[in-house]
Amino acid sequence: MNDDTNQFEDRLHRQPLRPVPHEWRAEILAAARSAARPTPHASFLATFNQQLASLFWPHPKAWAGLAAVWIFILAVNFSLRDPSPRVAEKSAPPSPEIMVELRQQQLLLAELIGPHETHDADRRKIYLTRPRSELTETLTT
Amino acid sequence: MAVRVIIKMPGRQEIERLYDAHAAALFAFLLNLTRAEADTRDLLQEIFIKFVREPHLLAGIREERAFLIRLAHNAAIDLMRRRGSRERTKEIFAAEIISPFAPACDPDEKVFRDELSSALGELPAEQRAVVHLKLWGGLTFEEIAAALDIPPNTAASRYRYGLDKLRGQLRPLYEEMKKAER
Repeated sequence: MNDDTNQFEDRLHRQPLRPVPHEWRAEILAAARSAARPTPHASFLATFNQQLASLFWPHPKAWAGLAAVWIFILAVNFSLRDPSPRVAEKSAPPSPEIMVELRQQQLLLAELIGPHETHDADRRKIYLTRPRSELTETLTT
Repeated sequence: MAVRVIIKMPGRQEIERLYDAHAAALFAFLLNLTRAEADTRDLLQEIFIKFVREPHLLAGIREERAFLIRLAHNAAIDLMRRRGSRERTKEIFAAEIISPFAPACDPDEKVFRDELSSALGELPAEQRAVVHLKLWGGLTFEEIAAALDIPPNTAASRYRYGLDKLRGQLRPLYEEMKKAER
């Protein structure tokens, strides 16, 4: 079995490979030599373009498609944006009657909750402005 | 003090020497991997241009052949990945046509080489690379391992798997040819 394997390997090993086409030598060496020559200063745009090409390669169409989809999404997003702030800006100022009504309501509200506010304020004073020892006295009296 | 290292660009003679010494081996290896002559040419040219543009690559390299094989292998794998599935059908089709072997005059030999080429084309690329380098590149498993950046045991096992598959596929033809030779 091992001998058979060796024979098989020998047989494969003896198969001659295709030679390199003769004309390739001159072409490849010429290409290598031209690559060796210092290139004139590449412009910023050319360099940028090259960088972009290498970044987006090998599927530039796919990247372009993705960019188009994003632009479409942004456009739709802007067109459907809630216009309420603009409406508020443009709406006319409230009439004087409404303003008077509002002030009256505010006064009424102040009257209603006014005593509570003062009471709360007094309580806050009791608790916050006095020292602790005095505070306990106040509470017991 | 900063030390500035100046690496000299390989001269015309140096590039020609590299080409004459290694192009045939690289060509066969790349052709066996890509199965397309145009791709093989592009990759071979790419490798030599790389040497010219990046001369430091050769600095301190003792085994030029192994290093070049590594570059060629990486370039071929990159190409295959870039191609993706779109081109895979074309590659399979090409695998049946492009042979890395020299044309044979003897009809039996021709049939054997065609069958061998077809069987090689069906091997996974990593097995094909190892089989090629062992049988026709004349590299040891250690050298193959260094060239392909894999452990030597992996190189050896890939070779055995690949050879077993080839033997399985070529057995009827091989047995027939052996009988005829007796």
